[in-house]
Amino acid sequence: MSVDDSLETSAEHVHTATPPLLVQTAALSTRAIRGFFRQPQLWIPGIVFPLLLAAVNSSSLSRASLIPGFPPDTSYLQFLVVSVIVQGVMFGAIASGNELTTDIQNGFFERLLSAPVSRPAILFGRIAGGWVFAAFQALLFVGILWPFGGTVRGGIPGVAVLVVMAVFLATAIGGLAAGLGARTGEPEAVQGFFPLVFIFLFMSSAFFPTALMSGWYGTIAENNPLTWMIDGARYQVIVGFDLTEAAKALGISGVLALLGLWFATTQVRRRWRVAA
Amino acid sequence: MTVDVAQRADTAGDRVDHHRPRPWSIVWRLTARSWLNLVRIPAATIPMVIMPLFFTVAFAGAFSALVLIPGYPTDNILSWMGPFAALQGAAFTGLGASFALGRDIEGGFYDRLLLSPASRLSIAGANVFFVLFRTVIPVAIVLLIGAIGGMDIPAGILAAVMLLLGAWGVAAIAALWGMGVTYRIQKQSAGGLVQVGVFIAMFLSIGMMPVDLMQGWLPHVAKYNPMTYIMELARQGFIGEVAWESTWPGLVSIACGVTFFAIFAWRMFQRVTP
Amino acid sequence: MTRAAVQPIEAEALVRCFDEIRAVDGIDIVVDKGEIFGFLGPNGAGKSTAVRVLTTLLKPTSGTARVAGYDVESQADKVREVIGVALQDAAIDPLMTGKELLRLQATLHGIPRRLAARRAKDLLERVGLTEAAPRLVGQYSGGMRRRLDLALALMNEPDVLFLDEPTTGLDPMSRRNLWEEVRRLNREYGTTVFLTTQYLEEADQLANRIAIIDHGKIVREGDPAALKKSVGSPTLRVDVADEQQAIAEQTLQAFGEERPSRVGRVSIGLEGGAERMADVVRALDEAGIVIEHMELDSPSLDDVFADATGRRLEGAADAEEPAE
Repeated sequence: MSVDDSLETSAEHVHTATPPLLVQTAALSTRAIRGFFRQPQLWIPGIVFPLLLAAVNSSSLSRASLIPGFPPDTSYLQFLVVSVIVQGVMFGAIASGNELTTDIQNGFFERLLSAPVSRPAILFGRIAGGWVFAAFQALLFVGILWPFGGTVRGGIPGVAVLVVMAVFLATAIGGLAAGLGARTGEPEAVQGFFPLVFIFLFMSSAFFPTALMSGWYGTIAENNPLTWMIDGARYQVIVGFDLTEAAKALGISGVLALLGLWFATTQVRRRWRVAA
Repeated sequence: MTVDVAQRADTAGDRVDHHRPRPWSIVWRLTARSWLNLVRIPAATIPMVIMPLFFTVAFAGAFSALVLIPGYPTDNILSWMGPFAALQGAAFTGLGASFALGRDIEGGFYDRLLLSPASRLSIAGANVFFVLFRTVIPVAIVLLIGAIGGMDIPAGILAAVMLLLGAWGVAAIAALWGMGVTYRIQKQSAGGLVQVGVFIAMFLSIGMMPVDLMQGWLPHVAKYNPMTYIMELARQGFIGEVAWESTWPGLVSIACGVTFFAIFAWRMFQRVTP
Repeated sequence: MTRAAVQPIEAEALVRCFDEIRAVDGIDIVVDKGEIFGFLGPNGAGKSTAVRVLTTLLKPTSGTARVAGYDVESQADKVREVIGVALQDAAIDPLMTGKELLRLQATLHGIPRRLAARRAKDLLERVGLTEAAPRLVGQYSGGMRRRLDLALALMNEPDVLFLDEPTTGLDPMSRRNLWEEVRRLNREYGTTVFLTTQYLEEADQLANRIAIIDHGKIVREGDPAALKKSVGSPTLRVDVADEQQAIAEQTLQAFGEERPSRVGRVSIGLEGGAERMADVVRALDEAGIVIEHMELDSPSLDDVFADATGRRLEGAADAEEPAE
């Protein structure tokens, strides 16, 4: 209801020549966030699975921290803090980006297209909806893992880096999901793509230090941009706040975010060209 | 008029007698159908091959340094992670049965089966039979990667036999659990719940680490998880010789799991067919 | 031989509930051998539930039902041997070919391979799918699927054939083809057919006898001609301007009982039929009513339905099927 209202209001703004992009984006992202949280099956996995894996792996692999070459003075749970955030954001952003596919399937997308809504607002509204959840996830995970030994040594600036990285990553993955959705129009196709993202994550330093991986697998992991991003963010957790490392984490996630947005924009453009 | 009709019906030469269908031919025919369904959806076939491949490579690759932990049962990470990946692939295969079942129920095709005089046991059993058949694939893939990647197999052929046995156990249990839930919910969306159940059981066991080397809460859970013993049975020939004391707890776990979930699935099945 | 003496379908006080809802609410049915029995009712009336109980897919909550003399509850296996069923929406696996489905159906009924092959060939020919048989069912049209469904239902030469809304969603051409096939089956093989439908025409065209079901209860039963006759007089429909509707109703009351109708139209059962038309026109004219449209119809099954339930079936079915 209120979304429709705000859409109409913004439509009037068009006539009065006020740039409505921000207003529209805000209205659409409010709708996106509300719709997302109203469907627990979309956001619960993004919270439960990463925590479950952290609980199991930290207990199972705790002795790994004794292996020479593992970051000194670091528990395996501390090592995992960043991976939990990255995993959670991947789950959540795929689900929220995929909502665009659902919009396409049930015709809401076309309704927006036929309304005087600025077209980038349709896309940005969707993706911006994922930011709130990503930031929430990052804070929640840090808050839950801290008392169990997942201390973030970088303190508040360190946590801030993790939150911003989560938001950038949500943009990247959400853009990828939305773009794939715009391309295929099938939510299942987007879901089916998720394992590929997971493979990328696995072939990085997310679960183990790359220095301890051998052979070609280690080489791939060391040259995986996700590794650079994760290592930069992890530095804030296991050592302390550091500007260079933070720049690494945010720089890479920022570039990924831009790539995601670019992909989503081209795919959505293609679809509404087809629609027109 | 009516009499005439009755006579016609009874004397018609080519009339099909109402034979009692033979259970095995039904199981066989339904298995063949499942196989055709599988290969006719390439999207479903690819994960079946990729999954065990990826898990073997990824676990062995990412966690290769685990063998450096003092007391780790093997110094060949492929020998440890390969069987784990095979059992995961087997579990996925089992889940596939419940997805296919959900599709049949939702699409109404299952009604066609239930409307026939075929024995209910053969209709339900065909699902499990197909799973056992299909489980051979992830096991074979893991063994193939192992052969290429230099996996140790001290027990030789017996190791492979034990792995297949364990994989069958896991697949059958996962399939029966999945079928039970799917009969109960009667929708494809049952798959989510089914999956969560299976993977929790897998992860709360000795997939990555033997119980003695775990710390914290997990060893207390893993010790009582039947999956731990099935995994031990399946893996033993890759990290040492096959021994009875590593075998019987797994056999008991499989027997109990299969019995328990078969009763569960059968109970739920009876809700679908009076 | 003894089975020849029993009724193909007998149901007594049959009830099936889903939680609180009584989907089938105490129905009695007797279907005679060689009959095409039509079960007519709107969507959600309980037709499909009744079929599912009779075909052993659902247990009755209470009451009894026998098909070919076998109890649907205690002798379900026997029932399944002698029935053929084509369910709503022709639930056919799209990833199988027509041929594979027939072979599977034969196995499910334990029909020996050689006989099965011969029957499959005959059936495919009969429903006109011989050429399409090696193709995946997913590529079939709606009409082809229904015909294949029919062939599958006939694989075991059933004594009783159940057709649950066999033509819903079909184009008129395919619908007529299917009707013709059902008639032929009944005529040439004496197959007893139990047919559910929401289409008046279908019931009228095919059934020797129909039962009208509404809210789980049978509200009328008999052969179509007798049922139509029982409604009595033909229906006179007069369209008038809205503001004249009240006077029109008053005037027409003198000629017969009012019947359910839409706004802007007055319907009555015209006593005495066409002979009284002149009188009607005169009376309306004298009352100063402007007639926009006028028609006289002999009773239809829809009138029977309206008489029994106070509602029309025709509009309801059309609303479901805009294509029709």
